[in-house]
Amino acid sequence: MNSSSSATLDKFGHSTPKFNKRMMGLRQSGNLQPSVVVLLVLFFCIYAGYRSGDFWSALNWQLLAQPLAEAGLVSLGMMFVIASGGIDLSAGAIIGVAAVTAGIAAHHNLPVPAIEAAALAAGLLCGAFNGILIGVFRLSSILVTLGSMILVSGIALAISDGNSFAGFPDGLLWWNDAALLGIPLEFLLFLATAAVAAVLLRYTLWGHYVIAVGSNRVAARYSGYPVALTLFGVYALQGLLCGMTGILLVARLASARADVGQGLMLMAIAAVVLGGAPITGGSASVIATLAGVAAFYVVQDGLLLLDVSPFVQHALTSVLLLVAVAVGNLLRGNRR
Amino acid sequence: VKSSGFYRHEMKLASLLLVLGIALAIAAPRFFSSVNLALLARSMGVLLIVSVGMLNVILSGGIDVSAGAILAVVSVVLVRLGNHGLPASTVLPLGLLTGAALGAVNAALIAELRIPPIVATLGTAGLFRGLLLEWTQGEWESSIPAWLNAVGSPRWGGLDASVLAAALLMLAAACVLHRTQIGRSLFRFGDSPVAAARTGISPRQPIYLAYVSLGMLTAIGAVFYAAQLGAVQGNAANGYELTVIAAVVLGGADILGGRGSLLGTFLGVLLLCSLEQALVLLHVATFWQNIATGAIVLLGVILSATARLHRTLPLQQSLSA
Repeated sequence: MNSSSSATLDKFGHSTPKFNKRMMGLRQSGNLQPSVVVLLVLFFCIYAGYRSGDFWSALNWQLLAQPLAEAGLVSLGMMFVIASGGIDLSAGAIIGVAAVTAGIAAHHNLPVPAIEAAALAAGLLCGAFNGILIGVFRLSSILVTLGSMILVSGIALAISDGNSFAGFPDGLLWWNDAALLGIPLEFLLFLATAAVAAVLLRYTLWGHYVIAVGSNRVAARYSGYPVALTLFGVYALQGLLCGMTGILLVARLASARADVGQGLMLMAIAAVVLGGAPITGGSASVIATLAGVAAFYVVQDGLLLLDVSPFVQHALTSVLLLVAVAVGNLLRGNRR
Repeated sequence: VKSSGFYRHEMKLASLLLVLGIALAIAAPRFFSSVNLALLARSMGVLLIVSVGMLNVILSGGIDVSAGAILAVVSVVLVRLGNHGLPASTVLPLGLLTGAALGAVNAALIAELRIPPIVATLGTAGLFRGLLLEWTQGEWESSIPAWLNAVGSPRWGGLDASVLAAALLMLAAACVLHRTQIGRSLFRFGDSPVAAARTGISPRQPIYLAYVSLGMLTAIGAVFYAAQLGAVQGNAANGYELTVIAAVVLGGADILGGRGSLLGTFLGVLLLCSLEQALVLLHVATFWQNIATGAIVLLGVILSATARLHRTLPLQQSLSA
């Protein structure tokens, strides 16, 4: 995709990397929200560590790292989607379909790489479907993904007959057990993916196109940018990342069900927004997204250790989102 | 504001319904029995009432994903207070007030703190639902007061009060939206907040009107929701807001605001509900219903997008973007 895109730009003779970097720097300079979030979470960590001796234990952070990695992968995909001016409501359903596909593949005694490839392909296929409707046919992302969410969750239920799958081979469950220097492999995979995402966003033409399309789609189109292809890439990538999340979830839970990704979609949108990305698109930062996801999971985990009921945890993390966005708005001096 | 082809989308929906009707007349003639049609009408009541509220919000250029949570909160409030022995004359106004208050919280976050609607209502959905579950501790309210039971029980040839309420509320909404200044300001505001401000429309009033009216209509819907189910729980109506949004969007409302109609919303609800009813009659498994619903929603999106292509030239798009 990149080779074809760079050809388009060469025609206009831009010195792209420089322009890209300068533009990204400008876009990020005004965003104080990740700092606010990190500060709030640091205060919370100090308080939680003071009140509960278990908070700073290695085991706590190991247990925390795995769900964080799963939510983090979807959030990275969602970051690109939101940066391109869209939203993806179907992420949770795609995770479900990927998990169920892995379940069916395991049921047929396929080797582990084939199981993983099948799950990734299922995710990619669903993402590509969204990408074609949104990018090529120029339909509204929120509407398309609302429809495909219902459609895909129905497909996941239909191909699994509503059952849950168990009995996965050890090679797949390895993703859950493996660790390097005490750090779960899932988390390292997430960090590696985040690094790749950062490179994609900052140093490739595609990353530049995503931001441009999110800032002003019409201007991007008149500038000769490959809008359709860019958007297709965004949603296909999101589908692929959902497929990865599905595999990791299956490995951790040792079972696969159609509704396994429920809740991760809203979580991912909230994490990206908590990091300070405007929901209207045109701006993105991998670090800010990491801060957003980590904030949610650290606060939730701390509240758990402080014996706060799970229902109140849910309410308080929602308040964190509202407060962070409101404070970020005030700091930015957001007038109409 | 209205173009000449304003009802073009509604005509498409109507023909889609006609096709579905003909197919059903052949495949499952039982669909048109009076018993089944009454059932269909009952299943539409709550969805139609909440959808009218959601139409207001979408017309104003917003979206509300906390509607399911509001529906759950109000239905639990109604049933709990009723079971404590409070009379209907106290409980119903309190329920309506709760809905209005929760809608006002959304509106305040959006209008005063300038949080984007989807983010604000995402946050309040978690907040409302979390507090509700903490209050109920996840337990079922498995009995409802007698007066509430009477509201939900069918009479008038299988129809219940929700059908009557939905019809009256549609009429009222039509009057407010098209015959009052504040109702018309909703269309203007949704079309372009800046242009609306230039013509003297307050930048806050339409937002409060939209979200508070959705809160109140959701509260009214909650009365019938609880009455029809006969039991409520903190997790009630989880994801209901997405069905509501799907119905309104299927009805041709523009998600960017300013365009949409009550007739379209009615047809959208009718299409979703009759599809569901038909698949039940044809003994199709539940998950195939999801697939059919998803496909129909996507079809609706494509239909309304083709209408927009006729309406807007590229240059106009660039001016409005």
